[in-house]
Amino acid sequence: MAMSLNPASPREPAQIESLMRTAQRLRQQLDVDVHELAVEAIYAEAARIAGRSVSRPDRAARPTFDRTVDRLVTSRLWGFPLMIALFAVMLWLTISGSNLPSSLLSALLVEQLHPWLRDGATALGFPWWLRGVLVDGMYLATAWVVSVMLPPMAIFFPLFTLLEDFGYLPRVAFNLDNLFRRAGAHGKQAMSMMMGFGCNAAGVVATRIIDSPRERLLAILTNNFALCNGRWPTQFLIATLFVGSLVPAHLAGLISAAAVTGVALLGVLLTFAVSWVLTRTALQGEVSTFSLELPPYRPPRFWQTLYTSLIDRTLFVLWRAVVFALPAGAVIWLLANIPVGSLSLAEQAVQWLNPVGFLLGLNGVILLAYIIAIPANEIVIPTVLMLTVLVTGSTGMGQGAGVMFELENPGEVKSLLAAGGWTTLTGINLMLFSLLHNPCSTTIYTIYKETSSARWTAVAALLPLALGVAVTFSVATIWRWWD
Amino acid sequence: MDLWLTIVLVLLTGGLIFWPRHGVLPRWREARRLADRVRREDALKHILKREANGQAPSVEGIAGLLQLKPNAVAALIAQMERGGLVTYLGGHLRLTPTGRELALHIVRTHRLWESYLADQTGIAEVDWHREADRQEHLLTTQETEALAARLGHPTRDPHGDEIPTRTEDLRASSGSSLNAATPGEAMRIEHIEDEPSTVYSQLVAAGLRAGMKLVVIEKDAQRIRFWADGNAHVLAPSLAHNIEVVPQPDLKADEVYAERFLSQLKPGERARVLGLSPACRGAERRRLLDLGFVPGSELEVEMVSPGGDPTAYRVRGSVIALRRDQANLIRIAPEEAAA
Repeated sequence: MAMSLNPASPREPAQIESLMRTAQRLRQQLDVDVHELAVEAIYAEAARIAGRSVSRPDRAARPTFDRTVDRLVTSRLWGFPLMIALFAVMLWLTISGSNLPSSLLSALLVEQLHPWLRDGATALGFPWWLRGVLVDGMYLATAWVVSVMLPPMAIFFPLFTLLEDFGYLPRVAFNLDNLFRRAGAHGKQAMSMMMGFGCNAAGVVATRIIDSPRERLLAILTNNFALCNGRWPTQFLIATLFVGSLVPAHLAGLISAAAVTGVALLGVLLTFAVSWVLTRTALQGEVSTFSLELPPYRPPRFWQTLYTSLIDRTLFVLWRAVVFALPAGAVIWLLANIPVGSLSLAEQAVQWLNPVGFLLGLNGVILLAYIIAIPANEIVIPTVLMLTVLVTGSTGMGQGAGVMFELENPGEVKSLLAAGGWTTLTGINLMLFSLLHNPCSTTIYTIYKETSSARWTAVAALLPLALGVAVTFSVATIWRWWD
Repeated sequence: MDLWLTIVLVLLTGGLIFWPRHGVLPRWREARRLADRVRREDALKHILKREANGQAPSVEGIAGLLQLKPNAVAALIAQMERGGLVTYLGGHLRLTPTGRELALHIVRTHRLWESYLADQTGIAEVDWHREADRQEHLLTTQETEALAARLGHPTRDPHGDEIPTRTEDLRASSGSSLNAATPGEAMRIEHIEDEPSTVYSQLVAAGLRAGMKLVVIEKDAQRIRFWADGNAHVLAPSLAHNIEVVPQPDLKADEVYAERFLSQLKPGERARVLGLSPACRGAERRRLLDLGFVPGSELEVEMVSPGGDPTAYRVRGSVIALRRDQANLIRIAPEEAAA
């Protein structure tokens, strides 16, 4: 509403002057801002015109189906259990549903294509080191990331989008807002957090739904506390091996599932706790504006949803992961094969990291694996296995130094890790560290893109790492003191 | 060799200290110049406000405000006299036309900056004053005019104070202290003083804002009880002193008591929107208007979150969830639960 006053007749400046003064005086007499009065008048007029000229068919303003569903999903008694159950089902579908395609992809890309490429490179007369970097390093790491990441993402994201399309997710934000309000954050952070359970990079992008910069930054900084699907497999494997084995066999499944749930819930708890602390320190303030539209339920458009979520989310995230996995593969292979003195670079690094690892209740192999697996959390376990073989000198496993592999039989894994000096403490602290460490490079890059601030990106990367070091160190110290 | 090292060290140290604009000395000088200017301008502002309210400005008042010793204030006034900003003829401290213009610019910039912070940023309300206190010394006249244009030439700042125009003089505040208000009479909050900040943050936390209607219920030496914004408030007189009110002869006390807000609406009840509270400004106000919370809209409580807050309302065919704080900003008129 620009008020441009164009003097129509400059010959009478005195009149204009007095006109201006009258306008000024009248304006000062108004209680509220003249702009807001005008806006309100425009809205009221629009409503009047619409009310007069639009006729609605004679039906209830809101279908009874919507009301019934809403009463149920937001009820005091059923709201939270329903939400948790739905999410558990979604995770279960993702994890169990991706086992088969993952092993098929792995059989194709790792077991079939890899030896074939290796033979091809040999036949073409590549020197052994070039073949190693290209085929055993870069290709294999990428193949791992694709075969482990693609199936869960291709299941999780469409399921998530279906729920979104149906209209359920705003209800989750509605239910959880009270908790987020107490932490000084926005209820919509619930949605980006849930997205983070699939992939933190996608979760960070999803924070765009939050308008205010302060609350959006909170959501970005805490997104890493949602266990992403690159970390779920680590949780399940380690829980089965080290926690499930502590109890009788018939309880093992239940207890290890409980352990994983506990770690995931710890992440949710930390989301609230860290938001709460940040709101009172670096990111002070209240939620500036909160309004959440609860759209009517709609039957989800299945095929369209499938298509858009595959293109927009799955392939987008996968592409970024592949871009980062390629160089990481080369680095891993080189570390294991470049000798310094009598040992390889990787072995040197492991020895150097061992004292730090001991303090944290972990070991040098795990720390090195987390450093070289910055590009993708998915390759942590294969890297750990490869490095353990390298360090312990176990024979008859794997395909040579710097070549990733995964064992079919959990018993074999356990005995290999035991040979590497792992205890129950190592297992538990690995689960904690897997929740609390820096986000993968894809996520870090996305955070930088979204915040365009190197400072906040550094905070987002180092804050969870610092928490992880503190938590694992305390657990290790208390554990050893207890023993 | 040692000679060269000494020369290099001397050059480095010299550069560090004397380098134009970035050296330690120029930076220190600049900081001192700014501190000087802030003191001068704060003194001018003080004199202007005292003059506008018909009070005589005093050296002691300035000393208290700037936390300076009387001697230092005397030196400051002498410096301002030399600069042609004030006169001290006949023992009366007065602004010269130049001094008045500068003081008006400072007050105008301060209040415009507070309006800007309130309307266009998410900065917490208790921090507005401090931020504006810093910014008022930094903007040039042109920048202040550009800011005013960008905000749409507002007439009042978020505390209810009039924003002076470039030419017109500051007017005396028309309100009187809440402590002096007659019980049972309808009033409007004209101004809430934002200093000291501890008092101000308590008033903000109580939800009191300029523009609200109130009625004093009762008062004694220890406390004052009044009705505003659909709630009864109790304040100590020392806090109430920071609230200035003006009587509203056209308004009946019963109408103030009858004011109701959306947060008081129970499930199953219907209501019509009367308007948005003065506390709701800027982006928040525009958002609520966008969502259909305009005068005349019909409302109904649709559902309440399991935690008790937020609540979802049906307005103009869509369902919108608002937190209690926000629902408190919407004035309503309850309707019979018909149809």
